[in-house]
Amino acid sequence: MWIPGAMPIELLLIITAVAFIYVGVNYALTKMGKRIPAFPQAILMWLGAYSIFKFVLFPPIPVALLYTYMGLVTLVVFLFISSTEKAWTEFKRPILNTVLAVNPIYKGIRTVSFVALPLLIGYGTYDFNVPKYDEPIDLRTVHPAPPASVTVRGQNFTLQTAQNPFRVDENGKYLPVGQEAKYFKMNPFDPNAPPYMKNVRDGGAIFFQNCHFCHGDNLNGRGMFAYAFVPIPANFSDPGTIAQLQETFVFWRIAKGGPGLPTEGAPWASAMPPWEEHLTTDEIWKVNMFEYWHTEFFPRTWD
Amino acid sequence: MNRILSLLSYKKAVVMGAVTVALVAAGSVVLTMAETKDEKAAANAGRPAKPSPADVEAGKQIYFKKCVWCHGPEGAGDGPSADRLWPRPRNFNAGTFKIRHTASGELPTENDLFLTVTHGLPGSAMPPWEGILTDQQRHQVVSFVMTNLVKDRNFQDTENEDFHVIDYGKQTPTSAESIKRGQDVFMNKGKCVECHGNDERGDGNKTQKDEWGFPIFPADLHKCWNFRGNREDPYNPRNVFREVSTGLNGTPMPSFADTLTPEQRWDVANFVISLCPKEKIDPQTVHPAMNVVVRSHIIKGNLPSNPDDPIWQKIPNQYIALAGQITHKPRNFVRLVDDVWVKSVFNDKEIAWYFEWDDRIKSVATPEALAQAASFQETPPSGQPIALREYPMFNDAVAIQFPAKWQSLVPPEKPRFIFGDTKNAVDVWKWEADGTVKEYTGHGSMGGDLKLDARPTQNVKAIFSEYKDGRWRVILTRALTTDDKDNGVQFEKGQYIPTAFFVWDGNNGDHGLKTSISTWYYTILEPPTPTTAYIYPFIAVIVVFGIEGWIIRKANESKQKRK
Repeated sequence: MWIPGAMPIELLLIITAVAFIYVGVNYALTKMGKRIPAFPQAILMWLGAYSIFKFVLFPPIPVALLYTYMGLVTLVVFLFISSTEKAWTEFKRPILNTVLAVNPIYKGIRTVSFVALPLLIGYGTYDFNVPKYDEPIDLRTVHPAPPASVTVRGQNFTLQTAQNPFRVDENGKYLPVGQEAKYFKMNPFDPNAPPYMKNVRDGGAIFFQNCHFCHGDNLNGRGMFAYAFVPIPANFSDPGTIAQLQETFVFWRIAKGGPGLPTEGAPWASAMPPWEEHLTTDEIWKVNMFEYWHTEFFPRTWD
Repeated sequence: MNRILSLLSYKKAVVMGAVTVALVAAGSVVLTMAETKDEKAAANAGRPAKPSPADVEAGKQIYFKKCVWCHGPEGAGDGPSADRLWPRPRNFNAGTFKIRHTASGELPTENDLFLTVTHGLPGSAMPPWEGILTDQQRHQVVSFVMTNLVKDRNFQDTENEDFHVIDYGKQTPTSAESIKRGQDVFMNKGKCVECHGNDERGDGNKTQKDEWGFPIFPADLHKCWNFRGNREDPYNPRNVFREVSTGLNGTPMPSFADTLTPEQRWDVANFVISLCPKEKIDPQTVHPAMNVVVRSHIIKGNLPSNPDDPIWQKIPNQYIALAGQITHKPRNFVRLVDDVWVKSVFNDKEIAWYFEWDDRIKSVATPEALAQAASFQETPPSGQPIALREYPMFNDAVAIQFPAKWQSLVPPEKPRFIFGDTKNAVDVWKWEADGTVKEYTGHGSMGGDLKLDARPTQNVKAIFSEYKDGRWRVILTRALTTDDKDNGVQFEKGQYIPTAFFVWDGNNGDHGLKTSISTWYYTILEPPTPTTAYIYPFIAVIVVFGIEGWIIRKANESKQKRK
């Protein structure tokens, strides 16, 4: 089960675990005097890496990336088996034995593999030349550099200095980032809620009238319409999205949407509209606040 | 003596008779007691244990963070999102729940509610909460709902509330015979056809209401991934068996526990599941996995104008998921068409597109509707439930869109998917239920003003269109290349041509920007296999054989030397 956002760490853990098991088993077998010879060992390593990339990784990686990874793995396996003269000789031995057909068994292996190899290469060549219908890979920068300032509904905002006017403490003063944690477990529908929570409630209402269809009831990018979209909507509960961004960056993205992205951000690949068509700047700031309250992340600050 | 004897025996007979009566009476009392006990046990089988106050309190905190936005602070299904949703969020107050293991009209078991929270309800806004809330948190929030938000009924009321849990009996494995028997029950004894329609697309009875007076449509049985209680396993007939057995409280769907035997219900379940296209299901979305490449197949001869033509029949339908267009006014928060299935073929001159989608009501625009189109207002944020809104009848329609000049775009650049943008125009072919086919040039809808201009050209033709039993089928054709190179898409073999799809549901008030949309897909016209694809492998095989021969010769030489 992949935990959203933790995938790279989980993958590293899996690879480390597999490496440890491999070394451990190898060590134990050597102690028992049943060491696996270099040739099958190399094949095992290669197949092991392939099955992790192909079957364990989720979501699946594109074929082109799989080839790149396997190229690297091949290189590493070769480095490993040619690290000492002894290992290299050991690795070569079964190959030489086959080529030289030293005994009837190796002769059998040679006959089979010398017939199979050209056929396999022939099939590979055919497969390479026949037309393919794979999905083209569209790359894009997920968080492109924001502009210095934006004009939303006739009002100019400098992104480095603008502040969310609704991020206020009990006395209506600006609440510095980091101090809002005390509100995270509060009930936004409590009639005696502090001003901060009233703004969260307003923001939540706007979110649940406009945004949840795509970004989801849990802000994880899996709303009821999300499955119709490529790429899928942003997942705010992932530590790689709003947790990495300043509030003003998020303000810019809500106000200007996909069409407001620079070319490297692939504006055509975003279904996000410029919400300034529907929401006032106040409403955008409130939605912004709600998203941080709900995910319990702190926005990044400029310093 | 004789008399004494007879008296004695008389007495004896009386005593014996009395003893017998007493024994029988006692026995029947014991039996009755046992029976009531069994019945009581059955009625209590699914009753939830009383939740602890600590769990209810913990559940309350979760509820007011995660659930309140749809279900409302009092659990009345009236949170901020509610008026823009249909189906609306559940109103818990009356204790009416659709997805249960309990008999018709009864409250659900704790596990029923837990599973609904865990896996969500596909086809509605309720998401799966597994992986977001822990098992314990989900039990806690269910405790809060049962204790505080179900107000009219009490789960602990042993006098008035029973919890008979349905018995699955012995499951009949699916088979052609079982499906056939199921179809017979569906059409005759079960009368399922009356609501779910002749072709099971939910178009039988279109004017029903739920317990709260909101309109409700019978399920389209060809979309098992939208079955609310499918628990992320759309093709599992157990879900259908359960729903047929328990009925859906608060809706017109009754329980068939008394009218159909368990065997008949299993047959119906197998029949219903057999209607659903067998697609690879994406575990993340629990909908058919998306393939963004639509292959147009090369054919010889004329383009087939009948969907039942063997040429069309042998090409698999491709699933295109559709979302509501909710980002430009008028917005389509409730889209009643959630997918369209497409196929494409081409010959040396023309290309054909086949579209198929389910729509419960055939709609052809009325003159009054068309007159209102310009002043059409979208539903305000609150105060007016979208579920109750009635619309003028517009045309059902389908459209396909390509960048007008994809050749001059550097991949992956594309126009905006909603009718293009000011920089990059799109070519839109639109067929409407009144039989018209038009070509449009789209420059987008930025600033709330849709620029979609009809062109006078008539290169696109509808060679087939039919509405039958809740399904539209339409075939459009056009020449691969046209003279209108500035506005009309020009097809080339073997190239990825961005393609997007739109469907309008006329009785849902869909017209213009109020539509169902897809994002960009790619069409590729199947290129012919180059001759080199056959020559190169041949050469490769010969070369490798040659090298091998050389290796063997060398090996033999070295062997000779050693000897």
